Amino acid sequence: MTRKIDEVAEIFRGIIGPEWVITERVYMESYLRDETPDVSRPPAAENLILLKPSSTGEVSEILKAANEMRIPVFPVGGRTGLVGGCIPTEDGIILSLERMNRIDVDEENLMATAEAGATLADLIGAADEAGLFFPLHPGDEGAQIGGLISTNAGGVRAVKYGVMRNYVKGLEVVLATGDVLNLGGPLIKNNMGYDLMDLIIGSEGTLCVITRAVIKLYPKSGCSVTLILPYDDRSDAIRTVPSILRSGVIPLAIEYVEIKELNKAAEHIGDEWPVQSGKAQLIIILSGRSEDEVYSACEVISEVAEENNAGEPIIAETRDEQERILRIRSNIYTALKAEMVDILDITVPMSRLGDLMNSIDETSRKYGVYLPVYGHAGDGNLHIHLMKEGGEVPENIGEVKREIYDAGVRLGGVITGEHGIGHLRIGELDRFISDKELSLMREIKRIFDPNNILNPGKIFPRG
Amino acid sequence: MGDQLGIIVLIKQVPDIEKVRFDFETGRLDRSSAEAVINPFDLNALEAAVQIKEAVGATVTAISMGPKAAESALRDAIARGADRGILLTDTRFAGADTLATSYALSSAIRRLSSFDLVICGEKTIDGDTAQVGPEVAEFLGIPHVAYVEEILEADKKRIIVKSRMGRNYYVLALRLPGLITVTKDVNAPRLPTLRDKIRSRRAEITVWDADSLSEVADTRLFGVSGSPTTVARVYAPHAEKRKGMIFRGNPEEAAEKIVGVLKDLRVVG
Repeated sequence: MTRKIDEVAEIFRGIIGPEWVITERVYMESYLRDETPDVSRPPAAENLILLKPSSTGEVSEILKAANEMRIPVFPVGGRTGLVGGCIPTEDGIILSLERMNRIDVDEENLMATAEAGATLADLIGAADEAGLFFPLHPGDEGAQIGGLISTNAGGVRAVKYGVMRNYVKGLEVVLATGDVLNLGGPLIKNNMGYDLMDLIIGSEGTLCVITRAVIKLYPKSGCSVTLILPYDDRSDAIRTVPSILRSGVIPLAIEYVEIKELNKAAEHIGDEWPVQSGKAQLIIILSGRSEDEVYSACEVISEVAEENNAGEPIIAETRDEQERILRIRSNIYTALKAEMVDILDITVPMSRLGDLMNSIDETSRKYGVYLPVYGHAGDGNLHIHLMKEGGEVPENIGEVKREIYDAGVRLGGVITGEHGIGHLRIGELDRFISDKELSLMREIKRIFDPNNILNPGKIFPRG
Repeated sequence: MGDQLGIIVLIKQVPDIEKVRFDFETGRLDRSSAEAVINPFDLNALEAAVQIKEAVGATVTAISMGPKAAESALRDAIARGADRGILLTDTRFAGADTLATSYALSSAIRRLSSFDLVICGEKTIDGDTAQVGPEVAEFLGIPHVAYVEEILEADKKRIIVKSRMGRNYYVLALRLPGLITVTKDVNAPRLPTLRDKIRSRRAEITVWDADSLSEVADTRLFGVSGSPTTVARVYAPHAEKRKGMIFRGNPEEAAEKIVGVLKDLRVVG
C-alpha cells in the first residue's frame, strides 16, 4: 500500500464504523492462515487491514474505495481451504463477511437464501430446523457459504446430488467497481444469455465478492444408513464402486479409505475405528424415503460387495453411530496434517481410479516415499498426501508431485477436483491447460477486475 | 438351555436425546420429534451379554416394555447379537413409574422357564433414575451389583465384576442367578453386520400383553395403577447462549472493568 495504513483505515472507519476496522496484527492472526499444511502455506503480507462489513451496501462502498485507491482486497470465509487461496499475500485489505450470516429458508420452493458469512453448520442447522436437508458435506463445518461457492466445494456427499455448483441457484455479487449484480434466482430453467453465475462459482474470489446466495435444499430423507465394506485387496474395493452405480443404487457418498489412516484419525480424536478387518475399506452412505427403500438398496450393495470379494459389511443406523464414522473419516486430514507437506486432489474418470492408485504405488516405490491416499471414490476424486520424512520436507517432493499430476492428467483427469488452484497450484495450471484457455481466463479476469485488486496472485501468477 | 448361560438383557427404546424437542407447557418430551433408538447404556448391556455368549456360550434374550413401535429396538438388539426379543406391550403397562416398570419386567423374566444372569444399562437417558435394574433384582429375589465397569469372569455359577462406586471400585463375585447394571465403560458396543441387520428385519418378536403375565403377576400392579409415584412437574434447563462483552478504553481501565464483572459473577474472589 503506498498510502499509510492509518489514512486508509480512516476511510473505511467512515464506511463501516470504527469497531469493524482492525489494524492491530494481534487481532487478525487467525485471518492470516487457512488449513494448508504449514510448510506449504504462503506467508501473509505485513501491512494489512481487516474489515468486517455488515451489508452488501458496505461491501460495495469498500470495493469502490479500494478500487479507486488500487488496494488489493482478499475476501476470506471460514479459512478452511487447502491451497492458500485466501491468504493475503500482498499488503491490502482482508475482507471478512462473517457478520453477514443471515439465512432464510423458503420451505415451499426448497431453497435457502444465505448471506456469504453464514457457516456450513448454520446452513445445515437452518435446513434441519425447516424439515429440509443440505446434503453436501465438504468437511469443516466452519466453512462459510461465500467460500463454499468461490471454491465450488465438493467433499464426501457429492455422488448423488453433485458439488456446490449443483446447489447454487442465485447469487448476489459485488464487482470491483462496487456495482451489485443479482444473478440467477430460484428458477429451474434460465437461458438469458451467458451464465455469469456459473462463471463466478469456483472463481476463488478473483472476479467479484459473493455476498448472498440462493441455495437448493432437499427433503429430509426418511432413513439413512452408513455401511463399511472391508477388503483385503484394494483393487476389489475400487472395482466395487462402478458396480454399485451400475446396479442403479445411487448412494449419497462412496468413500475409499485405508485402515492405517483411519486408525490414526480415530486415535487423534480419542476414538476407535469400528471395523478392523480389511486393509482397504469403502464407506457408503445411503439415504431414502423409507426404511424399506434403504434396506432394499443395502441388499443390492451386499450382493455387489460379495461378488467383489468384500469381507463382512458393517452397518451404522443411528445418528450417533453414523456421525461417529463421518467424524473419524473427516479427521484423517487433521491427524496427518502435522506431518504433511501437501494434499493433492487429483480427479480422474471413476473407471480409472484403480490405474491412478497403481501409478501412485509405483511413484511411492520409485522415490521411497510414504503416500497415504483416501478419497471420494464415487467421484473419481483421490486425495494423495505428500508427507515429511524425519520431520523434513523430502528433497524429491517436486518430482513426486509432478509425477502424480502427470499420471492424473494422462488418465484423463485434472490436477484438482475440489481444492482449486489458489496459491499453491499456480505453477501447474499452465502445464495442463492450453495457452488459449489460459488467455481466455486472463481476459475474463481483466474484464471483471481491470485493476487486479480482487485476490491478486491467486489462480494466475502476479504480473 | 443345558450348560449354556441364559442371559436376559433389558432394553428401552428412548428418543435421540440430542434431537428430541421438549414441550415446556406440558413438561413432556415430544417423542415424535426425534428418531427412537436403544438407550445407549443398554447397548453396553447387550454387548456385555454377547461377549459372554462368545466366550462361554449363552442364549441372549432381550426384553423391552413399550409401545408396538419398540419392536424395532428388539430387532436392532437381534441384529447386534441377541437370540430373541420379547416385547411387553399393552395400554395397561402404560404410565408406569420405576416400581411398576420393574414389576412388569421382573414378571416377564419370571415367566421365562429359567435364566442365570440379567444385564441392564446403569440407567436410561430419558429417565436417568438408575432404579429399574436394582428394583427388578429385588422383585426376583436375586442379588445384584450396579455400576459394573468390567466383567472379569463369567460362568454358569458366578460372575466376577468390577463395580465403580465414586472414586473407589469393588471387585465382587456374584452368585447366579443375579443381575448387574453396566456403565458405558464396560465395553465399546460393536456395529451390527449388514447381514445380521437384514436378517433381523424379518425376525419374529414375541409380544406379551398384561394378561400373558397373569399367572406370575398381579396385573393390577402394572402401569398407572401400580405406580405409587407420579411426576408432578418436569423442568428443562433453558440453554444459555455464550455471551460476549467488549470493554473499551485504555488497557488498565478495561482490565479493571473485567475484574469487576468477574467479581460480580463470583468467578474471582
